Amino acid sequence: MGKLQIFVAVLVALLISSVSSAQEEYKFDISEIEKKPYHIGGYVEFRPAIFWMDKDAALYKLRFFNQDEGNTIEEYNGDIQLEGSYEKGIARVFVLVNGDLTYSYQGWSDSLDLYEGTLSLKPSNSLAIDLGKETQKWGKGYAWNPVAFVDRPKDPEEPDLAREGFWMASADYIKSFSGPLKTFSFTPVLLPVYGQVNDEFGKSDKLNVAGKFYLLLYDTDIDLMFLTGGSRTPRFGFDFSRNISTNLEVHGEFAYINNFKQKTIDERGKVSESKFDAKSYLLGMRYLTEIDTTFILEYYHNGTGYTQDEIGSFFSLIDKSYKTYLSSRNRDSLTKAQSLAGNYGGVNPMNDYLYLRVTQKDPFNILYFTPALTSIINLDDGSFSLSPELTYAGITNLELRLKASANVGQNESEYGEKPSDYRLELRARYYF
Amino acid sequence: MKKILMCLFVLIIAVPAYAIDGTQLLKQIDRNLNPESYEMYRKIINIEPNGRKMEYTLFSVKKGVDKVAALFIAPASEKGRSTLRLGENMWLYIPNVGKPVRITSLQSVIGGVFNNADILSLDYAAEYDVEKVEEAGNEYLLYLKAKTKTVPYDRIKLWADKNKKLPSKIECLTEALMLIKTLYFKEVKDFGAGIIRPSVLETDSPLYKDYKSIMIFANIKQRDFKDEVFTLTFMPKIESLRK
Repeated sequence: MGKLQIFVAVLVALLISSVSSAQEEYKFDISEIEKKPYHIGGYVEFRPAIFWMDKDAALYKLRFFNQDEGNTIEEYNGDIQLEGSYEKGIARVFVLVNGDLTYSYQGWSDSLDLYEGTLSLKPSNSLAIDLGKETQKWGKGYAWNPVAFVDRPKDPEEPDLAREGFWMASADYIKSFSGPLKTFSFTPVLLPVYGQVNDEFGKSDKLNVAGKFYLLLYDTDIDLMFLTGGSRTPRFGFDFSRNISTNLEVHGEFAYINNFKQKTIDERGKVSESKFDAKSYLLGMRYLTEIDTTFILEYYHNGTGYTQDEIGSFFSLIDKSYKTYLSSRNRDSLTKAQSLAGNYGGVNPMNDYLYLRVTQKDPFNILYFTPALTSIINLDDGSFSLSPELTYAGITNLELRLKASANVGQNESEYGEKPSDYRLELRARYYF
Repeated sequence: MKKILMCLFVLIIAVPAYAIDGTQLLKQIDRNLNPESYEMYRKIINIEPNGRKMEYTLFSVKKGVDKVAALFIAPASEKGRSTLRLGENMWLYIPNVGKPVRITSLQSVIGGVFNNADILSLDYAAEYDVEKVEEAGNEYLLYLKAKTKTVPYDRIKLWADKNKKLPSKIECLTEALMLIKTLYFKEVKDFGAGIIRPSVLETDSPLYKDYKSIMIFANIKQRDFKDEVFTLTFMPKIESLRK
């Protein structure tokens, strides 16, 4: 064979291999789309964080009154979220488990929680019945959901995280129409509270009844919801969501809570309880620009929240109690304040808030890179949190996020009295 | 006499061009691409200038003129996400978030050159009017104009094979005729049951220089669905449609 013939043969072979590899590139492996009756998946996450403490803050004194962990605290978190499902006929079993392992100034701690565990029956596309531990995530708000009557409270700093459900029975009935009303659905819920079953939900020995009606009416999502039964006071509400234009969406929620009980503590440590009908509401919008910048803006009125004076009294009590402890080692008053720390020191405990989140997709054409800036502003006392973050998801199944947070505010303000001024956190999450 | 014959000859040549009904042609192109109600699998490959790839596998269902849903089945980070289009409304469902949120056709839930409108595409005849049809060799060239402002591409130039009535290339343009992206339809394949259509869709965009996205189609089957499948409440259950 001459050199030219060899060269041509090699060239042809190369051409054939490049074509066939290109063809292989554009092929589907049947195993990729074969449906199996079971599925196991989830993610593992490593999340180290460092906190810069504010030793003058009331909530720092409440938590660390008898210890000094220094000016910074480090925390190393490992999380695993595991889900599994099995389908046969009209039945499906689904399980979601969340495990956490933390090393901090308190040493090692771990937890393993069943977030969801349901048996679903779907006799038709119009009807489904679910039994077990599940979540019902009602509401259109991004950071807050006053109408989430049968769900655990959301952390507005991490609104996309999965949450633990409650044991309940629920159903979905769906009906479609032509005309302005395109869809109607009804979701009834039975939520028992007996013994240890759903004991965190409210008063025991009650069978609670809740429900949500959904309508897609004139291209607007509308929900009407209610809860009654005794573990919590009766409440009802509604929400809506609609696209005003191709790049502007508006949404809102309203909740009316009958006879809401609120515990307050004054400067002297006297605890009292009041009952009132509370109204909470939210109005928000999502706007997308031509360069793929997304703005989410929400105003939230928390009708069950504390006034500035009430929060101020709580923080004053802590200061006085701390001084008493330092002088006499008497911690009675601090203990009383700690019993209400979940209320006063919880997530957004006051009345009026603003939420702003700005996200830029693929800036400078860097694919899968998303910087964002989030701020939660307490409109009552002017304090706020500010959280810039950088997320990169350019490696298949791996998500990296670097997030910083700053709490800014004067004395006796919500964010001014948080135990830490700054936080820096790295989150590396791998999906499988 | 010669003049009369010349006129007749010109008319004979011209009449076929004027006889093309652009709207009917576009509807035929739509039907040749997909049945009116179907299920299918797609793989989307985003290729970066450095050659790195990200792949997504979707299961899609469509019914009639304006109902489309898509479910991500790979990679693991996207599995369980679904998108739904019902008329002018579009939603995204993320399992951890647990409830659908409204999105727009301009967004892209996966990044890359394809956006939501490409993933949840309706019939071209449902969204575009045919302004004119030209003949370009063995292809038709259709000039399309969006029927409403909600359609992501204001104008489209669609090249279609005359015999097969299948698109070979589409240019998506703004109102000012600026090129947004180009879609190339390749590798015609017989999917069975009379569905013979391009199995590969490549796209590039001057807005994403040197990036390329490819969509590969598989298992396209005619299938009827209840309207209730295309609702917000059903979104978490789209996986149950897969057989």
